[in-house]
Amino acid sequence: MQEVAVQVEGLVVNYGPFVAVDNLSFTVNSGEIYGLLGPNGAGKTSTLKVLVGVLEARAGKIEVFNTPISQEVAAKSQIGYVPEEVVLLDSLTPREFLEFIASIRKLEASAANSRLEKLVSAFELKQFFDTPIAALSMGNKQKVAIIAALLHEPRLLVLDEPLIGLDARSSKILKELVTFHAKRGGAVIFSTHIMEVAEKLCDRVGIINKGKIVGEGTVNELRKLVKSAEGSLEDIFLKVTEQEAGMQDVIRALEEEEKQP
Amino acid sequence: MSSIMYKEISFQSIFSLRAGGALPRRGKDDVRTLISNAEVSTILSKLITTLFIAFFGFAVFLPLMAGTSSSYPTRELTAVGSVSTFLAVVLFLISFMGLQVSTSFVSSKAIDVLTPLSLSKSDISHIVFLCFIRIFDIPLAASAMVLLLAYYFIGGSFLGGLAAFAGIIVTEAFALMLTVGLARFFYSRVAGGGGKSRWKTLLRFVFMLVWILPSFGIYFVVNFAGQIAQSFTSLTQGVSSILQLLVLIYPFSYGYLVSFATFSFQASYLTVALSVAACSGYFALAAYCVKWVTRTVGRIGAGGISTALREVVKDTAVSPQAPWLGTIRKDLRIASRSPSYASLFLLPAIEAAVLAMSFSSFNEVGLSSTLGLLTGMSVVVLMLPPTLVSIEGLAASYTRSLPLKKKTLISAKTLLSTLTYAISLVVLFVVALYVGRSYFYILTFGAIHLFSVAAATMLELIILTNKFWKEGFAIGNIYARLSTYILIIIPGLAVVMIPIIAALATFLLAQSLTLAVFLGLAVTEFAVATAYVALEK
Repeated sequence: MQEVAVQVEGLVVNYGPFVAVDNLSFTVNSGEIYGLLGPNGAGKTSTLKVLVGVLEARAGKIEVFNTPISQEVAAKSQIGYVPEEVVLLDSLTPREFLEFIASIRKLEASAANSRLEKLVSAFELKQFFDTPIAALSMGNKQKVAIIAALLHEPRLLVLDEPLIGLDARSSKILKELVTFHAKRGGAVIFSTHIMEVAEKLCDRVGIINKGKIVGEGTVNELRKLVKSAEGSLEDIFLKVTEQEAGMQDVIRALEEEEKQP
Repeated sequence: MSSIMYKEISFQSIFSLRAGGALPRRGKDDVRTLISNAEVSTILSKLITTLFIAFFGFAVFLPLMAGTSSSYPTRELTAVGSVSTFLAVVLFLISFMGLQVSTSFVSSKAIDVLTPLSLSKSDISHIVFLCFIRIFDIPLAASAMVLLLAYYFIGGSFLGGLAAFAGIIVTEAFALMLTVGLARFFYSRVAGGGGKSRWKTLLRFVFMLVWILPSFGIYFVVNFAGQIAQSFTSLTQGVSSILQLLVLIYPFSYGYLVSFATFSFQASYLTVALSVAACSGYFALAAYCVKWVTRTVGRIGAGGISTALREVVKDTAVSPQAPWLGTIRKDLRIASRSPSYASLFLLPAIEAAVLAMSFSSFNEVGLSSTLGLLTGMSVVVLMLPPTLVSIEGLAASYTRSLPLKKKTLISAKTLLSTLTYAISLVVLFVVALYVGRSYFYILTFGAIHLFSVAAATMLELIILTNKFWKEGFAIGNIYARLSTYILIIIPGLAVVMIPIIAALATFLLAQSLTLAVFLGLAVTEFAVATAYVALEK
């Protein structure tokens, strides 16, 4: 039987009167890549931030490998996180930043350096290793965040839009790493707007809209949910999030405006 | 448009520290609070600088206003000293303020949004310059007003007022150039370096010292306002034989011109001509400075000078430390690349050096003077914990996901703050040794007071982490959240002062018990604070 990697029950997150996540529940098993999809502002990032301890929930229960998130240090030690908006310590170089991360995560120098060498080489970051993070491109900053997330070989990877800014080679490597991580028994929660990636990479997806899960399962299960035998995940997504009809109207209006002299 | 850009930069200066990149996920009210905080804070920082200028302006002109020096040549030379001192102080104060805010100005890169708009390079340059000037608008206007008002009170003439006005304009232009020049140098040569280069590390340290000079100046002028004015006056009197040379040197040239235009004292035509020529030369130089600042500030605002020089990378090895040591190394690295942080780290040691200079006026460094020195130094050290916690806010939206214990964080920052205090004590001890004064009290009471300072630091850090742990660490820099700083420093101040006050009281009542009481209280404070921190998760 698969071990439950992440259990989220009745999660509520609010910003003042605005409820970003409304009684959300889902489960991710070890060995599974779980895609969290949803339109902008649906509550994906808020959910992931609570999961990694960046944000405080108003209500709900979260466990990471049976460790309640309230046991901050124990829970966070099992997680590798790549944020949507990469805000790192910009005045440090990647070497200094990763040294800090390795220190906080209490990694042995030999183990950390051996893994670091492989990751830096895989993501072609060596030439920028002593350049301040502030001077790096968005893609290279993303690579630093990805390496920091993978450095301690976490059991759970929480990746919030990790492919943004990455070149094709690095995207491919990250996807391979994620797949390999799941095959070895780790768990991955992956948020993305790229439906093709989610369709190919994720074992199950949860579609979130206005802070609530509106569809969950494998792509085939979701097709059944929307009663469509052939639709892509993108079609399913647009139907489930009730964006399809409105979207057609908008496209039509824009096309007509273009036709006008 | 410069108004919008200015608001954006003010906002970003507080946003990066307070929100740590987490702002878009906050409620509307939080954002509104942040915006109003940023607006209030920028006004507050301007007003504080203005108050310093006003205080000092009236302090240096007081002897002339009171008419205590009414006879020739004292009155005339006092006027030279007062005007020259005031100009020098304005240069220091505005540079100090500029150095603090230029970090936000450079890091904001808010100007990037102007580039894609249909604006010419010259338009952008002007917008950026106006935006930069707005950071200093109140202090710049206040400097001119204070000088002219003070000059009016001493019974100045129209011509003298004109010369004083020219002097202050030139001073302000020089101050802006100094700020921009140092910021440019810092971001192009110092901040952009890698962590492996020892040369860069040394350069950063040297630059931190350069950066601290205005802080040193501010402390110095506020504490020794009267003495400085007297020294300037003495200098002008002492070198009257080489008057022609002195009138060529800024700010004396303006001091002489103002004094001559006010009192029309007997001076050779050559001296007056030299003074006028020097002032005209400095005026032309100031005009060039403004032009240079306009050109350079545009590049700074666009982040154009912060491009790093890339070093050849030989390996990717890192040396992980224990979490507390890793946190200290990270804090020191960040501080060494941020002028506003660096200045606060170095301020206690510099202050110790300044205080130590006053040893020359003591016959003996006794208990009361030692306790006075310890009070002054510990107050400055108490500003460190909020600064160190604000560093955590720089990337709070990421670093909060790391498994860092609250007590590890508190221990690391306590150790760093206490170490800074210990370095100040070493500076004090070395100077006492050098000038041949007794150092018994500095060694004994100073060493014991380390416990008290550590306890005060822990108390501040407990308050700070409890208050900000949930919402992300940052509390903003010293200008951005001054009220928060003061509220946090007050309990810390109480902790460092309890043993000092008790020691002074005991000294009066039972002298032999002074050291025991001081030691007992300091160690008790430390034990209580340590026990509390140990209970933190």
